[in-house]
Amino acid sequence: MTRGGIVAAALTAGGMFLSPRLDAHRLDEYLQATRLSVALDRIELEIDLTPGVSIAERIVTAIDTDRDGRFSPAESDAYAGTVLNALALTADGRALPLNPGDQSFPDRGAMLEGVGTIRLRASAMLPRTSGGRHTIEYRNGYQPEASVYLANTLVPGNRRITIAAQDRDPLQHRLTVTYDITYSRSRRTGAVAASLAVVLIVMGRRKRATARPA
Amino acid sequence: MKTLLAPWLCLGIALPFVAGGLSGVRPPENQAAAASARGVTTKVVGAANALLATLSAEQRGKVSFEFNGPQRTGWSNLPSGIFERKGLRLGDLTAAQRAAAMALMAAALSPSGYKKINEIMDGDEVLKNAGGGRTGGRPGGGGPPPNDPARGGTPEGVSPGARAGGPPQGGRGGGGGIVFGKDEYYLALLGAPSETMPWLIQFGGHHLAINVTIAGANSAMTPSLPAAQPAKYTLNGQTIRPLGGENDKGFALINALDATQRKQAILDYQVRDLVLGPGNDGKTIQPEGIRASALTPPQQTMLLDIAREWVGILNEEAAAQKMAELKTNLPNTYFAWSGATENGGLAYYRIQGPTVVIEYAPQQGDLDHIHTIYRDPTNDYGGKLVAK
Repeated sequence: MTRGGIVAAALTAGGMFLSPRLDAHRLDEYLQATRLSVALDRIELEIDLTPGVSIAERIVTAIDTDRDGRFSPAESDAYAGTVLNALALTADGRALPLNPGDQSFPDRGAMLEGVGTIRLRASAMLPRTSGGRHTIEYRNGYQPEASVYLANTLVPGNRRITIAAQDRDPLQHRLTVTYDITYSRSRRTGAVAASLAVVLIVMGRRKRATARPA
Repeated sequence: MKTLLAPWLCLGIALPFVAGGLSGVRPPENQAAAASARGVTTKVVGAANALLATLSAEQRGKVSFEFNGPQRTGWSNLPSGIFERKGLRLGDLTAAQRAAAMALMAAALSPSGYKKINEIMDGDEVLKNAGGGRTGGRPGGGGPPPNDPARGGTPEGVSPGARAGGPPQGGRGGGGGIVFGKDEYYLALLGAPSETMPWLIQFGGHHLAINVTIAGANSAMTPSLPAAQPAKYTLNGQTIRPLGGENDKGFALINALDATQRKQAILDYQVRDLVLGPGNDGKTIQPEGIRASALTPPQQTMLLDIAREWVGILNEEAAAQKMAELKTNLPNTYFAWSGATENGGLAYYRIQGPTVVIEYAPQQGDLDHIHTIYRDPTNDYGGKLVAK
């Protein structure tokens, strides 16, 4: 018998000694993954929600309120609103209102299989911030009884922003991000250099003027 | 003074040779490596063309995609019936075609990498035979397992035309059931096989997504997702653990750290899934854990050895280049751990550096169901190679 034949025979004839759980996908957990990005003027949230197969029907029912078997734009908006209402975001201790952004919902069948991911985007405007250290706190209180959370900060696209620390509670309901804004030492240095250059030019001119013979 | 100056004078003499090495005059060993890498590309292109020669015009149409088209990101870890892949389904191929498809993978990957993907596929066959294939209306899904012609068998049970229709890529399968097993792996070629122009081999199915970009003599294998369920099974009297090295080497490193190092490495929160799994291309999260510069040289070697489990899936020449890059970037590479520290417990870990992200994540508290991801934020889908 060839090796392939042996493999097949062993697999079919009970050559494997295990009884795997047949869960190719999430079961009774509601995975809520948030990625948070910090810019100078705003915070952006990417929230991916994947209900497990055994709780998906409950979530589908919560979205498809008219029970017509599909998620209408109004139903999707309403569900996104429910999720966003359960989130809290503060910047330096001040609460920030979340503005809903793009959203996409999987088809109902994919959700019922436990593999459909709802993708919500939201943002919050930051008050004008000075340089130095700042803190953002993100809390996700949506469906805490069945959920598994992931919360991470993306590396900032703006080089003036440096993430100093991330702190979470053990279940990642809460993510506190401490970051530094370096308001442009180069801008300040540039201004000083420009002033110095003007002074030097003026002094140079005066020197030449005094050195010129009358 | 003379004594102090002497080493610098020696360095001054040596510098022209060093500079020669850096400025494009390759030392012989680099020339040999380059020639070897070109040889790999020639071999892979040959294997791809050999496969294409076995296919009908319709099949060639099915396997061929644009290099920059949407197929590139159209991969998943999910099984057929939930995620509808495009490309050539192994179960639809003749014995010769299937052998040629697997020969292409063998040419692109290292022997250990090829073994690993076969063990992942065998694991899915185990899952199917344990009752994992809910056929729910999809014809052929519950048929007898085919042999692997690439490994010497014949495709008994191949059911041409058994593919269910379905919505465009990324959608659910149209057959209404989840199907496991070795027939349910797909191959796609993005771009024409070439020794000079970039092209990509995409191979995957349940718990496996391999993306190999080839650009001239260079190749890259990011993003890729090797996973396993079951993570341990017995086959022909042998215990198979497709991701056993990844598990054991991770635990070995966390146990090699002293208390201070562990405090830095171990995250004080649970991580229950991949953070940068499928669909998260182009994202870089803030690194956490212990910086490799805080590890001892033997610990650094252990860290690189863990990374090699993913990097080494690709052919040895490309893997050697990548490992050299990881070694160079080691001071800015982090190792983060969450969960139990005794091997056999549930634990997540992540290796993150300037050109690598590796995550290892048991699923839903199940040690027998592991997902991993391997990315290069600077070179996913060979972006850096193509830009050269």
